[in-house]
Amino acid sequence: MAYNYDKYLRLEKMPTLWCWGCGDGVILKAVIRAIDALGWKQDDVCVVSGIGCSGRFSSYVDFNTVHTTHGRTVAYATGIKLANPDKHVICVAGDGDAMAIGGNHTIHGCRRNIDINLIMINNFIYGLTNSQTSPTTPQGMWTVSQKAGNIDPTFDSCEVAIASGASFVARETILNPKKLEKTLIKGFQHKGFAFFDIMSNCHINFGRKNKMGSAMENLAWIDSITIPKAKYDKLTPEEQLNKFPTGVLKYDENAKEYCEMYEEIKKAHQGKRGLITQDDFEKKI
Amino acid sequence: MREIISTGNDLAAIAAVDAGCKFFAGYPITPSSEIMHTISDLLPAAGGVAIQMEDEIAGIAATIGAAMSGKRAMTATSGPGMSLKAENLGLAQMAEVPIVVVDVMRGGPSTGLPTRVSQGDVRQARNPSHGDYRSITLCAGNLAECYTEVVRAFNLADRFMQPVIVLTDETLGHMHGKAIIPDLEEVKAGIKPRKRFDGDPKDYRPYGVGPDEPAVLNPMFEGYRYHFTGLHHDSKGFPTEEIETCRKLIQRLEDKVMKHTDELELNEEFMCDDLTGEEGEVLIIAYGSVSLAAKEAIRHLRADGIKAGLFRPITLWPSPAKRIKELTDKIKNVLCVELNIRQYTEEVERVSSRLDIEGLYKVNGRAISPYEIVTKVKEVF
Amino acid sequence: MATVKAPANTPVWVDESRCKACDICVSVCPAGVLAMRPEPSSTLGAMVEIIAPEDCIGCSECELHCPDFAIFVAERSEYKFAKLSKEAKQRAQAIKENNYRILSA
Repeated sequence: MAYNYDKYLRLEKMPTLWCWGCGDGVILKAVIRAIDALGWKQDDVCVVSGIGCSGRFSSYVDFNTVHTTHGRTVAYATGIKLANPDKHVICVAGDGDAMAIGGNHTIHGCRRNIDINLIMINNFIYGLTNSQTSPTTPQGMWTVSQKAGNIDPTFDSCEVAIASGASFVARETILNPKKLEKTLIKGFQHKGFAFFDIMSNCHINFGRKNKMGSAMENLAWIDSITIPKAKYDKLTPEEQLNKFPTGVLKYDENAKEYCEMYEEIKKAHQGKRGLITQDDFEKKI
Repeated sequence: MREIISTGNDLAAIAAVDAGCKFFAGYPITPSSEIMHTISDLLPAAGGVAIQMEDEIAGIAATIGAAMSGKRAMTATSGPGMSLKAENLGLAQMAEVPIVVVDVMRGGPSTGLPTRVSQGDVRQARNPSHGDYRSITLCAGNLAECYTEVVRAFNLADRFMQPVIVLTDETLGHMHGKAIIPDLEEVKAGIKPRKRFDGDPKDYRPYGVGPDEPAVLNPMFEGYRYHFTGLHHDSKGFPTEEIETCRKLIQRLEDKVMKHTDELELNEEFMCDDLTGEEGEVLIIAYGSVSLAAKEAIRHLRADGIKAGLFRPITLWPSPAKRIKELTDKIKNVLCVELNIRQYTEEVERVSSRLDIEGLYKVNGRAISPYEIVTKVKEVF
Repeated sequence: MATVKAPANTPVWVDESRCKACDICVSVCPAGVLAMRPEPSSTLGAMVEIIAPEDCIGCSECELHCPDFAIFVAERSEYKFAKLSKEAKQRAQAIKENNYRILSA
C-alpha cells in the first residue's frame, strides 16, 4: 500500500497554485502525514492560515479551514480553540504574517501557552507580493523594497517564541521532510503553544535575484545556514553568527496550558453567586 | 417583565449572556470596559468563555473565530477600537459571520474625549470597512434598550449572517438607573439561531444560496467541512475570480439586507400621532441618549402650545428611508439633534430630498439639554 | 495510516497531471531512477520520467520532497526494492550534472 494523501486533500483544488518546487507543498505533505500518524479525525481539525502564499495552504486541506486577514491567524485561532478546547487547531503563516504584522499576536499566543500549533513557513521574504523585505530576510539580500541590499537586521524567531513563553519551540527545514514530520508530530501532540520555524525555499521571489534561482540552489543555501542544535551548541559565538540551530529547541511538558487554566475559571464561577443572577430579579411586573 | 437597577454597560453584558452568547473577546477601552468586566464573571458561570485579548484587533479576530466555529460571540469597544477593527469587520461581512459589536460612543475623533459622550461613530458604523456591503447598526435610546437591542442584535446577526453593530454612548453606558426588561423566558423563547444544513455533506454549499439570502454556515467540527475566506469565493467558500460568481456574491451581500429591511426596521414615534402637517408642527429627529432630552423637550414645547413630536430610529442603518420621507413630506419644520456634526442629518436630507433640515449639534463631549432643544425650536421655527 | 493500493509490480510511479517539473525529485534520487524528459505540452517544457525503475531502492526521498503529490513510492511490503549499486549512483550523478535531464545515448 502506498500513502493515500488524497483523503486529506481537496482534490478539486489541485494542482496547487504554488510555483514549481515551492517548499509550501513539502510542508503541506509533512503536515498531512503528521496528522495521519496521530490518527486525528478530519472533523476535529481546524487549519487557520494568514495572507501570502502560505495562506493558500488552508484551501488545499480537507479540514475545517479559515483564511484570515494578514497577521491575525493566531488571534482567530485563539477564538476557535477557546470556544472548542477539545479540537485541534493548526495555524499556518508566513514569516511576514507571523512576525511582522502578526508579531504581537504570535507573542501573546506564546505567552498564553494556548494549545495551538503555529507553523511559520519561513522563506525569508514576502513571496506572494513579490519580494519585499520580511523580518527574517538576511541583511545584504536584494529585495524589491531595498534594492541596494537589505539593511534591516533580523531576529531569531524561535528565540522570540521562547522568550514569549511558548512551551514547544522547534526549527526544521524542508531539506529533511522525515525529520520535519517527526517534529510536527511531537509538537502537535504537545499540550501547549507549539511554534515551528520551518525554513523553506522561495527561489522565484527570494532566490532568483540573490543568486539562487532554482529550488535546489535555494535549498543548498538553507542547508548552509542551519545546523543541528547539538552541533550548534558546540560552536564559538563567532561561528554561531548567522547560523540557526535546528531541532526541538524548547519542550516544557509541565507548563500550564491556557484552556485548562480557563476550565478552572469556569469551575470557580459555577454555583458562585455571580454579579447578577436570576435571584436578583426579585420584582416581576 | 422584570425590573433591574443597573448600568447600560452591565445590561449589555447581561443581555448577551441571556441571548445565548458563549464567547466574548475584548480589550479595555473607556467607556465600554465595564461590559468586559461584567461579562468576564457572567460567561464562565454560564459555561462560556470571556477573554481579554492583547489588542482591539485580536479582540475582534477571536470573536469572529469563535463565531466561525458556531458560537454566538460578541465584543465591545468604543470609537478608536472600531477604527482598529475595521479590516476584520470586513472579513466578517465578506465571509458572512454573525457577531455582535457593541460600540459605546465617546468624544472623537482619535483619542478625543474618552470619558465623555458623543454620537460621532454613526457615519463610521455605516461603512466601517472598505468595499461594498450593508452594515446593520442599531442604536439604544434608553437603559432598557441597552439590554433589548443587544438581544435583538444577536437574532439579527444570525438571521442576516453578518456583524451587527449596537451603538450606545457614554451617557447610557454609565447611566445607573431602573430598567424594565423582558423576562428571561421570553428572551430565551425569542432566540432564533442561524440556519443550518442537515443534508449530505457532499451536497453542502454554504454560500450557494438564493440571490437575496444569507449564507448557511454550519458550526465547525460537526461533519460539514468548508472554507472561510475574505477573498471572493464560490458556493463552497473557495477563492475564485470568476466574473459572474464575483458579481453575484457582492450583489447578494447587498440584496440580502436591502431586500429585507422590513425585518430590520425599528423606530419609535413619540407624540407623532397628532401631527397632520399643519402650520407650526415640529418634527424632531434624534436617537440614542439625545432622544431622552428630546422627549423632555417635546413635553415642554407641548406645554408651550407647540405641537412637536419625535421620530427616533432605533435601527440606524439601513435607515428607515420610507418612513422618514413620509414624515418629512408631511411636516415642514424638521430639526435633527445629534452629538456630532450632521452625521444622520445628511441621511435625512438624502432620503427626504430636502436641503432645509434644521440641526442642533454638539461635539464638545457634553450632553444636549431639553432646554437647548426647546430654545432651538423656538429660534428657528 | 491512510493508504492506497500501489500499481502491481511498480516501485515508483508518477501522476503527470500534477508534476510541475521542478527537478527536485531528480535531484534527491540517489539511484538515478528519475530524469526529466522534454515535454512541449508542460509549462516548463519538461516532465519527470522513471528511467530505471529496476534500480529503485525505495528510500522515498522523491515522494517526501515532491511539493505537488505527483510521485509515489510503494511500501516495502508490496515490492522488493533493489540495493544501491555503484552504477546507479554514477548515473544519478551524471543526470544531476546534465541539469537533471535524461542523458543522451
